Amino acid sequence: MNLSFPFPRTPRFLSMLAEPRALFGVLILLALVGVALAAPMLAPHLPNEQDLVNTLLPPMWVEGGMGSFPLGTDALGQCILSRLIYGARVTVIIATVAPLGAALLGCTLALIAGYCGGRVDWLILRVVDVWMSFPAIVLALVLMVALTPSLTNVIAAIVLADWTRFCRIIRSEVVVLRRREYVAAARIAGARHWQVIARDIVPGILPMLISLISIEMGVAVVAEAILSFVGRSVQADVPTWGTMVADGLQNVFSSQWGLILPVLCIVVTVLATTMLGDGLRRSADPRLLGRATHRANTKGAK
Amino acid sequence: MTTTLSQGVPRARYSPGPAMQGVLTGAAALLGLIHRIGTRILMMLVVALVVFVVLRILPVNPLGMLLPATATADDVAALTHTLGLDQPLWRQFLVWLGQVVQGDFGASIQSGRAVGPLILQALPTTLQLITCGLALGIALGVASGLLAFRFLGRPVERALDVGGSIAISVPDFLWAILMILGLGIGLRWLPFLGPIDAAFNLPRVTGFMLVDAVLAGDVAAFGSVVAHLAMPALALALGIAPPLMRILRSSLIEVYNEDYIVAARLRGLSENRILFKHAMRNAALPTLSMIGMQAGAIIGGTLLLETIFSFPGIGSLMVTAIANHDLPVIQGLALTYAVAVLAMNMLTDALLVLVNPRLRLS
Repeated sequence: MNLSFPFPRTPRFLSMLAEPRALFGVLILLALVGVALAAPMLAPHLPNEQDLVNTLLPPMWVEGGMGSFPLGTDALGQCILSRLIYGARVTVIIATVAPLGAALLGCTLALIAGYCGGRVDWLILRVVDVWMSFPAIVLALVLMVALTPSLTNVIAAIVLADWTRFCRIIRSEVVVLRRREYVAAARIAGARHWQVIARDIVPGILPMLISLISIEMGVAVVAEAILSFVGRSVQADVPTWGTMVADGLQNVFSSQWGLILPVLCIVVTVLATTMLGDGLRRSADPRLLGRATHRANTKGAK
Repeated sequence: MTTTLSQGVPRARYSPGPAMQGVLTGAAALLGLIHRIGTRILMMLVVALVVFVVLRILPVNPLGMLLPATATADDVAALTHTLGLDQPLWRQFLVWLGQVVQGDFGASIQSGRAVGPLILQALPTTLQLITCGLALGIALGVASGLLAFRFLGRPVERALDVGGSIAISVPDFLWAILMILGLGIGLRWLPFLGPIDAAFNLPRVTGFMLVDAVLAGDVAAFGSVVAHLAMPALALALGIAPPLMRILRSSLIEVYNEDYIVAARLRGLSENRILFKHAMRNAALPTLSMIGMQAGAIIGGTLLLETIFSFPGIGSLMVTAIANHDLPVIQGLALTYAVAVLAMNMLTDALLVLVNPRLRLS
């Protein structure tokens, strides 16, 4: 029984770092966190500092660029590099807090639904159905109409729009785990409901939860970018990659750099979370693990 | 499976003759269908309630936009009464629902035009984009899934895998921007502003520009619409295709392990016939339900694509309405989006039942 215990033990958990894709994802995300933390030291200018003489400059290595604006300037003469660096702060906060919030809300409801079953389960599932009949973007946008623009409200909107992804999948796992013999054994041995949930069920859903959170990181970053692209995200004076994309698109005919660079930043970040998620899934999914060792064995035999 | 059938043990218990069985199956299927539609309609009512309540508890005062700054307390009370805002919330909901059922969504606060016609006018553009994106996405997904299955474990499969990972990692609106940069501005191959070249003057018949161009017999206009649709449809398709490819490949692998494929081979059928007549029909099921599950993401994706490519669809309408706090329009559109997702789910459900006879019994 101990063998089938699905909690990822530390060695196996660390072994995912041996997978080059996951390692690449982790390194990029760590670098992003570093940039966000050290933003005031790294950025050559303040993000909202305008230089109206030098607008729409190209990067310094292109003809016409200036050394003091390494990646050029936007239509208001703001330093693109500095804005990208400060924009990383919003992205990092969103990518860490929003998935955890969505996981917390979704998991709690999933545990209640899956463990209690019956009418509670039915009710929560119907709530999920209603929620999922709105495209997540539309829901987040409507919520942002109701809420004032601020970082906490953006996180709240993303959490409220995306918790269903967690709820539906985790609930079906809980339903399976709840019928396991060790759950019945724990109950017979006198464990209370919350003890069973904490010790026997939560460890079982952790691998799925971790990979869902890593997927949600990318989803949350994109959601924030979309919200700030349509101007419904954080306060207007806080630079975000999404606003930079919107600004860049307005000036796309005179200079493309202001558009390409923030798009690249978003793409690389999302790619990193996808790779991290892939790596985590591979190291957490026993079926894929079996396939990998099987392949290695057959290769060795040849 | 085959052995139990030939023994006839489980069947013998309930075999009311083939004709009777057919009637029963038909009745069961009909009941199932009614049940499904009934659930969806109930869900629509709940969705309508949610839309109404969420937008009514907003901190935005609907009167603030309608009255001048000099309005007195009497003016406010009079307008509150004419708009019915002094009634209890459930009464307001019933009145609103009654109007919505009759197609009356109220009038836009910004332009004063009725919301219903406003949405109806914009809807064909969005539906056309969804249809084209979906068709392109399914074509790409099925083609790459078949290709990956054909070259299983070879470099082609790996390349398709990597391509799929990249396609899915970049969100559709960023694909759109990358395409504008590359194909639109860099190479100048494709136009990216509006749904059709401004030089054409297409009479509006159905609102679907592709259809209107055909009806008008205008080949050049048709070409222009196709060129303008190409990039947004491709951006939408790039998000749809990779999961389809993966699920089609894995279900094909699963199906090819089944006995009936071996049996078909033993009967001497050609590989192509096995693939299209036997394997594809069964592998299509998880692929279809995947499309149904993605409905929300696909329909939501059009919102930003329309804004980026300046298509006059419901997405652009939504973004403008949100910028102006135009509550009646936002309410109507949120409901429209929900109906669209539910309709797409119902469509995939119906297709699943059509393709899979086993579902008709349950």
